[in-house]
Amino acid sequence: MKHHITISILKVCIGLCALFIVSSCEKDIPVQADYTDYVYSSMDEDGGSWKPILLTGSSQIAVPAPADVSSDAYQNELAALKTATSNLTGSQMEAVEYWSNNPILRWNEIALELVAKYNLIPGPNADGTYTLPDPANPGNIPHFPFAHPPYAVRALSYLSVAQFDGLITSWFYKFTYNRPAPGQVDASITPAYVDNSLPSYPADGAVVAAASRDILTAMFPLEKDYLAAKAEEQMASLQWAGINVESDVTAGAAIGEEVAKAALARAATDGMKKAQCPKPISDSLKTAAFNRFGWQWDNIEVPPRPVGLTPLFGQVKMWNVPTVEEVRPPVPPAPGTAEYEENVKELKHYADDMTEEWRAIANFWQDGLGTYTPPGHWNRIAKEYVLKYQLNPLRTARLFAYLNMAMMDAGISCWDAKYYYHYPRPINQIPGYKTIAGTPNFPSYTSGHSVFSAAAAEVLTYVFPEEGAKFRDWALEAAISRVYGGIHWRFDAEVGTAQGINVANYTINVAKADGAD
Amino acid sequence: MKNIYPTLSLFIILAAAMQPAIAQTPSDAIMMNQRESCFGLIYENSWFDEYWEGTYLRTNGTIATVKRNTITPMIAIGAFDRLNLIVAAPYVQTESTEPNGGKFAGAKGFQDLSLALKGEVLKKQAGNGELALLTTAGFSTPMTNYLSDYRPYSIGFGANELSLRGILQYKLNNGFYARAAVAYLWRGQTKAERDYYYNNGSFYSAWMDVPSCWNYHAVAGIWMLGNVLKLEANYMGLASTSGDDIRPYNAAQPTNKVSFGQAGVLAQCYLNKPKGLGGLAYYSQALYGRNTGKSSQFGVGLTYQFRI
Repeated sequence: MKHHITISILKVCIGLCALFIVSSCEKDIPVQADYTDYVYSSMDEDGGSWKPILLTGSSQIAVPAPADVSSDAYQNELAALKTATSNLTGSQMEAVEYWSNNPILRWNEIALELVAKYNLIPGPNADGTYTLPDPANPGNIPHFPFAHPPYAVRALSYLSVAQFDGLITSWFYKFTYNRPAPGQVDASITPAYVDNSLPSYPADGAVVAAASRDILTAMFPLEKDYLAAKAEEQMASLQWAGINVESDVTAGAAIGEEVAKAALARAATDGMKKAQCPKPISDSLKTAAFNRFGWQWDNIEVPPRPVGLTPLFGQVKMWNVPTVEEVRPPVPPAPGTAEYEENVKELKHYADDMTEEWRAIANFWQDGLGTYTPPGHWNRIAKEYVLKYQLNPLRTARLFAYLNMAMMDAGISCWDAKYYYHYPRPINQIPGYKTIAGTPNFPSYTSGHSVFSAAAAEVLTYVFPEEGAKFRDWALEAAISRVYGGIHWRFDAEVGTAQGINVANYTINVAKADGAD
Repeated sequence: MKNIYPTLSLFIILAAAMQPAIAQTPSDAIMMNQRESCFGLIYENSWFDEYWEGTYLRTNGTIATVKRNTITPMIAIGAFDRLNLIVAAPYVQTESTEPNGGKFAGAKGFQDLSLALKGEVLKKQAGNGELALLTTAGFSTPMTNYLSDYRPYSIGFGANELSLRGILQYKLNNGFYARAAVAYLWRGQTKAERDYYYNNGSFYSAWMDVPSCWNYHAVAGIWMLGNVLKLEANYMGLASTSGDDIRPYNAAQPTNKVSFGQAGVLAQCYLNKPKGLGGLAYYSQALYGRNTGKSSQFGVGLTYQFRI
């Protein structure tokens, strides 16, 4: 009898525990944005007249007139489309749903995932030396690229600019040729996505697929096959969804390929290749700062890294700022001054009296190694507001293009300050200081998070003015998060925020003049 | 790294340790009679200067040697003769040795409250000894808002755990004994303080799946000097059933697939004077692993048995 009682109690306890675990803990963890096709909040029929970033105009890339919808060629394509849409497999239907009628968001997610995958800092060799990734041999260990924040923001800006210019081109020809969508030509074709009045030639989706594939393949060469498969699936999904016939897709893909070439031509000569300079040049920057200001930053990892991260990223060609010097922030407080000592005291306070709130803020915005970086974080935020405001692909591309150009310019300006001033980090200066965030391999002043975030918040506020207070609060929180984390001085964050706002305004002024407002 | 299994390793060690009438743990073969209780206080020092990144054993100057101190108060209560309750609440502190390249702050705090119910299923004479079969159901949950996503300094894996264990022991009349236990540990999700992470792909959430795992142990030992001194050798294995590998030179995270095996020795004594008081000491060393530190640890503890 006693035995039975004990077994029963056990059963009850096991059941209760199991119930508790299943009901309170296990959640499905999202791996992508949860959205389907939606009604665009505007069509932007005049989008073809907007000013592109890299192309001289919306007709720089020539697109031949399409065959008339009454032609045999078109009717054959239409028949093929009908066959394709009436026999969709499960995976084809999934692809239609996944890519949706705003595939830019999916390509942005793919880009962020690749950033996170490749954002791994090379470790030391057995002899204490470090090997850099080799773009000529990307498969060597360590793999190319190391997708750190400057690399990431640059990749994202070329991706977004190519998408934007490609879609302006596509919009121009859509409303020049006005080829109706298949569903409007043949009522028996029901498009998978909500109906819109967008002319179907050339396919905007194919522009995005080809441009995104080519830019990201250049930035992440080891992902060539993966990206090709993604683009192929996306282009095919345009027909599976019944929104584009084959010649729409072919013409769109050709635009995407051309615009990617233009973007990659700029990328090839923007100075990024020289950013990770050799030690003698890096040392000369350090010496110059020491001679000028009396301080210098040193890497104190074990073993020490001989060169900081991309010392010459500050010399990379900016998108919308004429010279990096004109946005360079003022000289930071010298060690020993009252403001500096106040900063030391504040940092010690955060370290000694760390609260869960400060810790949570430091971690939320950390976006460190192995993640999508701060520029990636702001792309993710932008994506959420694209969905909230239901932007069409052209408007979406415009937002990402200005967002990422502003953040890249902000990063270039920040890196200019970092290696011009070469200011030491808290762990370099405060004896025995320990941090809850990882101290990066570059000088302290100004804070990259602050500059990236302030620039991003300004562009987002320009596009979504009613949300501006929130974006700017987040940027300030991202800035101070680095001080809570113990890896930046308050003046790094505050001056960095002002710097980010200043730099972003150059891009916003370009945006205001592009014809979209 | 090592820090993800503190409660577990402690219980395993305790399981090995607290064999006689004075104490019991979720994985040993001991049952206390109704109204008997045992209080234990154990200190453990653990450290590693190498860890497995996936299956590659490496050092890392950023973290140098990671040290971990744990103090665990625990109590076992004989609710019924055949059903016992065991409660433990470890306090953990972690840090790196100097010099290190990372300058990271360590972590400290109360970790997980664990409760276990142990029932005796079978106990009978067989040949020259006694055969016992027991089962344990355990549940543990974080006691504080510690951050699990702060490897290798985080003090625990930060998720609820439900465990079910089967224990088989054969003890010869001359004091030799052998014991084997197998458990499955269901682990829930832990909440990070970031809402994006990479786990062989993007995850847009603060929630991370902590892999569930199998846990095995095998023990051989002997009671000597008229049940005053016990000496024992033990082996413990753990194998996650899912999870990702630590990426090159990158930090570990709670989603990692952790496996390891460790061997140890233990000595325990039970004093007649003062009545109810006992002591124990142990040492163990990881032999192989995956996504965990190659840890060594030693522990010392006091136990006190009393009636309620």
